Amino acid sequence: MLAGGHGNSNPNTNYLKSRGLWVAYSIGMLVLHLILLSIPPLSIPMAWTLTNQVHNAITFIVLHILKGVPWIPTDQGATSLLTHWEQIDEGRQFTKTRKFLTASPVLLFFLTCFYTVYEPHHFVANFLSVCLVTLPKLPLFHKVRLFGINKY
Amino acid sequence: MDILEPMYTLVFTELVPSFHVHLQVLLGLLVLWVLFKKSEKPGRPGKAGKSELDIINDWKPEPLVTPVPAKHRGLNAPVTKNQIAQHITVNGVKCLNFATNNYLALVNQQEIDDVAVAAIRKYGVGSCGPRGFFGTVDVHLELEEKLAQFMRTEAAVVYSYGFSTIASAIPAYAKRGDICFVDEAVNFSIQQGLVASRSHIKYFKHNDMMHLEQLLSEQAVLDRKNPKKAAKTRKFLIVEGLYNKTGEMCPLPEIVDLKNRHKVRLFIDESISFGTLGDTGRGITEYYNIPIEEIDLVMSSMEGSLGSIGGFCVGTTFVVEHQVLSGLGYCFSASLPPLLTVGATAALNLMDGNPDLVKELNEKCDQLHRLLHKSETLARYFRISGCRLSPVKHLFPLELKSGTENELQKIVDLCLQDGVALAVPAFQLNDVKFQTPSIRLTVNSKLEAQDMSKCLSTLEKTVIATFKPTSTS
Repeated sequence: MLAGGHGNSNPNTNYLKSRGLWVAYSIGMLVLHLILLSIPPLSIPMAWTLTNQVHNAITFIVLHILKGVPWIPTDQGATSLLTHWEQIDEGRQFTKTRKFLTASPVLLFFLTCFYTVYEPHHFVANFLSVCLVTLPKLPLFHKVRLFGINKY
Repeated sequence: MDILEPMYTLVFTELVPSFHVHLQVLLGLLVLWVLFKKSEKPGRPGKAGKSELDIINDWKPEPLVTPVPAKHRGLNAPVTKNQIAQHITVNGVKCLNFATNNYLALVNQQEIDDVAVAAIRKYGVGSCGPRGFFGTVDVHLELEEKLAQFMRTEAAVVYSYGFSTIASAIPAYAKRGDICFVDEAVNFSIQQGLVASRSHIKYFKHNDMMHLEQLLSEQAVLDRKNPKKAAKTRKFLIVEGLYNKTGEMCPLPEIVDLKNRHKVRLFIDESISFGTLGDTGRGITEYYNIPIEEIDLVMSSMEGSLGSIGGFCVGTTFVVEHQVLSGLGYCFSASLPPLLTVGATAALNLMDGNPDLVKELNEKCDQLHRLLHKSETLARYFRISGCRLSPVKHLFPLELKSGTENELQKIVDLCLQDGVALAVPAFQLNDVKFQTPSIRLTVNSKLEAQDMSKCLSTLEKTVIATFKPTSTS
């Protein structure tokens, strides 16, 4: 499959900028949470922790583990070693998309802390997962592969 | 208010240990810093601090056309009339044609011309679009099927221009970070394909298998040090069947052996060897009796033996079909005009039907080869390059001076006046490798023994006339 068009060879750089994406993203999170809430054996704190964990796991895999693009690239492999996060907005930092994607897991974490009533086990699990998705988003870690993990 | 109450109680009754609050405040500050940081604007790298107007004012346009010396060969190209076949009329002089690539002499065959004319009546002149976009006509599919069948491969893909066939097929597979091992005498289209691929290029000396093996072993050592990187790096070996720039044949058995030992992908450009080598013209694999499955991709132009325009790639379906979406020359240029396509099909049918065509050509190549090597005059000034069966022969001057190319051009011009058309290969400015000036002789199967002896005597005469004064003075 060839993607893009109109001078845009890599939709990974800009589809997150498209209209309504922030709303869709929030609705997705809400739906995930409601589904988890509707499972009878799960208590409310458990449902919140799971929402946080599942959300962070998905974003971590999609934004920070998978490299390259899912279609036949026309850039001779320029993005084949870059994660999705590094491709966003051609690698520019502090753009609106990046701000939104950085703030949303932290906001979710605050909500989760509140609804788990600061129970230590929940807190530790949620804090570790929010750190895992927030640290690689910092400009400091742009194109950095600690200990060569996920380098090639 | 009911909702907020648990929070107040939590905070003020100190149910929340203080490290929770600290960590949350820290995280909150980090996010605030990110949120309020000014976003980076898209811009050209390295132009920071300069306003747009400054950049515009600083810009000095380069001349559209740089001054060209009046003697430049581009301005004094020989003008030909009539169809270019066994004979060629240059500047009003009828010459024997040793200059253009028409190995099997299929250029002015009446039956090929007839089907081409019939195709114009049926399909019109152009195909009006790229292959994936209304440009595919039944004749393209027929030609591809016929080519795959003739070359005994699973699939074939046809391009509309010989140069772009090779220059598109290579970057369809080789990407940034990959490694290409390439003979240094490869033609310009392979070089352009390599530039477009953005991969690392490692040139080995012309037909020097020791050097190639050394480069491959060096790479194997690096691969053992970093196996993770090696697993993601594709390695290609790119050679020509018969080299356009030297007329030499590649030592395919050794190359296939190295390819299997070092697990590289082998691409062969058969632009010249297709239709000239092997008993039935199936190219270098048939000549060496090596199964074509050993070669990952065979690329060839149809502008040599087939006497048409365009090019093709053959290989397994899996490999070839990748080009339908990734070969830029296939995707983004108009398909081969139907008249040229049926011309190529008809030429291929002729080749398939009469294996004697190739045998005849091989005899002529051999004959000229022996004549050239017998000549003492040529041996004094030139190194004769080109293998016995190659239709392309090169005469490389033994001593190279700054004016050598002009001298060679002078020889060729004098031969033209005497009725023998030869060529001095022209190199592009950015053709980086193997730019040795030479006189090129191209054989076609319709040349007679007396034509060749006439060519040789004319050549010897002009060579003596050109070189004598300088060598005595």
